[in-house]
Amino acid sequence: MKIAINLFLVFTLFIVCTTNPVYAQKKSKPTEIIILHTNDMHARIDNMAKLAHFADSLRKTHKYVFLMSAGDNFTGNPVVDIVADKGFPMIDLMNRCGFSLSAIGNHEFDLGQDKLNARIKQANFPFISCNIDASGAVLEQPRPYVILKAGKVKIPVLGIIQLGDNGLPDSHPSKMEGLQFTVGIQKAREYSWLKDKYGILIGLTHLGVESDDSLAKTMPQFDLILGGHSHTTMTTPMMVNNVMIVQTGSGLKNVGKITLIVENGKITDRKYELIPLASIKSDRTIQALIDKYNDNDELKRVIAVAETAINGKEELGSLMTDAITGRLKVDFAFQNTGGIRIPSLAAGDIRLKDVYLLDPFGNQVVTFKMNATEIKSLICYSFNRDKKIDLEVSGMNYTVLTDKTGSCSDVVMCDKSGNLLDVKKEYLVGMNSYISAVYKFDHRDAGTNSYNTCSQLLIEYLGEMKKVNYSGVKRVSIKPAE
Amino acid sequence: MIVYINGKEISLFDGARIEDAVLTYSPRSYKMMRKGKLMVVDRFGNTTERDGPITQGQKFSLKRTTIL
Repeated sequence: MKIAINLFLVFTLFIVCTTNPVYAQKKSKPTEIIILHTNDMHARIDNMAKLAHFADSLRKTHKYVFLMSAGDNFTGNPVVDIVADKGFPMIDLMNRCGFSLSAIGNHEFDLGQDKLNARIKQANFPFISCNIDASGAVLEQPRPYVILKAGKVKIPVLGIIQLGDNGLPDSHPSKMEGLQFTVGIQKAREYSWLKDKYGILIGLTHLGVESDDSLAKTMPQFDLILGGHSHTTMTTPMMVNNVMIVQTGSGLKNVGKITLIVENGKITDRKYELIPLASIKSDRTIQALIDKYNDNDELKRVIAVAETAINGKEELGSLMTDAITGRLKVDFAFQNTGGIRIPSLAAGDIRLKDVYLLDPFGNQVVTFKMNATEIKSLICYSFNRDKKIDLEVSGMNYTVLTDKTGSCSDVVMCDKSGNLLDVKKEYLVGMNSYISAVYKFDHRDAGTNSYNTCSQLLIEYLGEMKKVNYSGVKRVSIKPAE
Repeated sequence: MIVYINGKEISLFDGARIEDAVLTYSPRSYKMMRKGKLMVVDRFGNTTERDGPITQGQKFSLKRTTIL
C-alpha cells in the first residue's frame, strides 16, 4: 500500500512538472542577473561617461548585465535637441554605453515621427511599447515587448506609455498624427501570458508612479516595474502586491541597480540600489565625446538678422510674444518683463545661443481661452504687482488707466487694426507657464500646455522670419484715468 | 487640473509640472526649492524632481532638505 502511495505521489509530481512550462525547465543553478535602469534622462548627457564606466565595470565581473531606459531620452538639452540631426548625440552615447532596451516615452514624440524613426534605426537596441498602434502613422510599429536572454533564463520585458486626459501621450498633438493609443494598464493585461510562459515578467513603463501603483495592483504578474515619467527618485523600492516598483528621478543623476536571482525559471531574490552617478568615475573616451557634443558649433549658428538693435523690455518682449502668436496661431500672447533676461540684442546676426540667453528658463507656453474681461484682469494684476508695466504683448496694444494711487483701474485694449476688443468674443491667449502659475487672474478655462517652450518657438519664428526689425515698437502704455 | 501641496488645493493648467504647482502654492517655497532647501515628496514618500509632470488629484508635500 505504502509503495502504491509513493508511486502515486511521484506520478503526480511528474505530471505537474511536465504540464506547467515554468517548472518544466530542468532544475538549474541560480542565475544572477544585473539590471541597470534609468528614466527621464531628457538629453542630459553630462553623466553618460559615468554611466558607461559603471556599466562596464559591472560587465567585467558579472555575466549578465542589462542596461535599460524607461523612456523620455530626449528633450531638455539644446546640444541634443537643436542640432540639425535632432537627438543624434543622445542615441550615439546610449549605444556606446551599451543600452539593451528603451521604452518609448511621451517626449520621444517631440522629435517628430520621421526623426524618431531615424533615432530608433540609429539605436543598437529596441524601443518598446505595447499600447501604441502605428499602423496608420509615419512611425514604424514598435515591438510591445522583448525577451532578454541570460543563458537559459528568458526574461520578457513589456513596454507601456502614459496617456494624458486627451488620450495621447503628453507631447504636442500634431506630433501624433495617425497614431492610436490604448490605455496602458488595460493593454498590459493582454500580455499576462508572458508570465505564464516564462515565469518572469518585467515592466519597462513610462506611466508615472501613480499609474505604476495601479498597474501593480491590477497585475501582480509583474515581478518588477522599472518606471518613468513622474521623475520620482526612489532610494528604496515601492512594494505593491509583491511587485517591486522603482524609478531613478530625472536628468541621469542616478542609476538604479537591480540584482535578480533566478532559479528554476522563477525570481527567488531581488535587490535594489539607487546609485548617484556624481561619485562614479568617468569613461575617458566617452567623456571626450560628450565634451565635443557640448562644444557645439550649432549654438553659434545664425538663425536671423536684426536689422536694427532690439533694445529694452518692450522691443524684446514684443519679439518674444510675436513668436508665440506667430507659431501657435493664438490671438494674443504675453511675456512678463522679469523673464526677459538680456537688455538688448545687437543689430546684425542673431545666433541660437542668443535665444537661450534671452530666455534661459525653459518655460512652456500655456494657452487659455479668455474673454476681454478676463484678459483685463490679467493685465491689471500684472500692473498692480509693482505699479508698472509688467506684461509685454503681441496681437494687441493696451493702455493701463491708473487711479490716484497709481493702481490699475481699467485697461483699454485694441487689436492690431485699432478696434477695441469685442467683449462678447472668446480669444485664444498664450503665455509662459510662469505667468499662468503665479499671476492671479480670472479665467474659466483651466489652460492647456502647448508642450512648446518659449525659446523653441522663438527659434522657429526667427528661422521663419530671417530678418526682424523692432525699432521703436510700442504696444503698451500707462495713462491716468480722467 | 487640481493637485494638492501640503493639503492646499492648487488649480493648474493641463500638462503642468511640479514646479508650476509649487510656484502657484508659494513663490517663496518655489525659490527655496530651486535653491535645494525644500524637496517635494509624493504621497508614497518618494522625492520628486521639480521638472516632473503631474496628474489630476496628486498629493505632494514640501519637506526641508538636510543641506540647510
